[in-house]
Amino acid sequence: MNLAHLHLLLNHFPIIGTLVGVGLFLFSLTGRNDDLKRASLIIFAVMALLSLPTFFSGVGAQGAIEEQPGVSKALINRHEGAAILALLFMELTGALSLAALWQSHKSPKPARWNVAAVLILALITVGLMTRVGTTGGDVRHPEISDSSDPAANEGTLGSLVQAFEPSPAKFTKLMTANKYWWAFMMDLHFIGLVMIIGAVGALDLRMLGFAKEFPIASMHRLVPWGLAGFAINVVTGVLAFIGMPAYYTYDLAFWIKIFAVLLLGLNAAAFYLTDTFRVVEHMGPGEDAPPPAKLIAASSLVLWIGVITLGRYIQLYQGSIATR
Amino acid sequence: MALPLFLRSVEESGFSTWLRESESPFGFYFVLLFHTFGLALLVGANALIDLRLLGFSRSIPLAPLKRFFPIMWAGFGINAATGVLLLISYPTKALTNPVFYTKLVMIGFAIWILTKLQKEVFADTTATEAAMMTRGATLAKWSLLLWIGAITAGRLLAYTFKYILYPF
Repeated sequence: MNLAHLHLLLNHFPIIGTLVGVGLFLFSLTGRNDDLKRASLIIFAVMALLSLPTFFSGVGAQGAIEEQPGVSKALINRHEGAAILALLFMELTGALSLAALWQSHKSPKPARWNVAAVLILALITVGLMTRVGTTGGDVRHPEISDSSDPAANEGTLGSLVQAFEPSPAKFTKLMTANKYWWAFMMDLHFIGLVMIIGAVGALDLRMLGFAKEFPIASMHRLVPWGLAGFAINVVTGVLAFIGMPAYYTYDLAFWIKIFAVLLLGLNAAAFYLTDTFRVVEHMGPGEDAPPPAKLIAASSLVLWIGVITLGRYIQLYQGSIATR
Repeated sequence: MALPLFLRSVEESGFSTWLRESESPFGFYFVLLFHTFGLALLVGANALIDLRLLGFSRSIPLAPLKRFFPIMWAGFGINAATGVLLLISYPTKALTNPVFYTKLVMIGFAIWILTKLQKEVFADTTATEAAMMTRGATLAKWSLLLWIGAITAGRLLAYTFKYILYPF
């Protein structure tokens, strides 16, 4: 398997997934079905996470085909610009969905503004993702359109949206032109790391049996700090990737790190979407978490240590994946 | 201005050269990795304590947070040790950069505050939470600021140096 293969494997999820999510969300509003609403919010969060490797693998897919005859760089650039804009809205939708899930956990009804915001952002995301799909199809499917000129197959709506899409090359330059901007992003990436480990690490340790004086519920209150740190790191990580796409794309440590982040998402799902969370949620001081909770806490710690380790080794393993 | 020669002696030593040039994953990047682990342990736990003292997450009981002090001291120990190794790897790069000294001063103050938190806020087991928060609020604010400053300075070291190695 190469990166082009990975891109083709992943790229349908954000498009179809958000579409399914929006459908469920609309049904949940008409039927006032809160379980359905929760399910659609979870789908948005999962799609926001899956969109990251989909986006990152695009550069490798480009590298695999751009020198081949009949492949238009202009079409690839348009696809990449569309992807950057769609990713922005996808991540916003995912972040607000997590906020809404957090609210719905604390009170049965999530705040109205949040429901409205998720709906609007998700609808925009679906539209933008569709465009990412069609512009991506134009790159490699001459049976649909055999023009290599982006303007030739652009509708009115398409040209309107395109005005808001960044030019990938300019965006890349913008990220690396000033070393202090780059240093600032990396700085925030480290501060986000501290927030994640300070919050999630403390909760994990309590579940494993360290410092049992704390009620688990009180440690769980820290999770929004961890999520805020994660949000900071998704933003700074994606911007860093856009700044040096080739550096990260052909790096094995980077890809294993992203895989570990996806596993952490799976781990969080195993915690919140099974009975595990309900069992430990109200545990007071001195109470011992059951083995499944301990297993999840241990996986979380191991995976975060793995993420830090792989992040530190990105520099050493640059170029560890063959470009072709 | 001539650079002190000992920088070159350190840099030319076998150990420094190995740390810098070894392609083994257990060389420079291994040290850097543990410097990051230490940071996460020390500042992660300290930020948690600072934020709690400043009134966030009040449902967390304050006094048992003293259990995190051994974790923070372990983190500090790791970072002092790995920091020396990093300095041995690139002595000229660090010691000719004012940002490096700024970082050390900020860490010095942050650690001093950590000892004050331990002695003045958490040592007295009879103090009420309100009393602990009154005593610790100012320390906590400075602690957060100094750690953000120290991390920022540390990150800047990778981008603001004048020399990477001793110039010939």
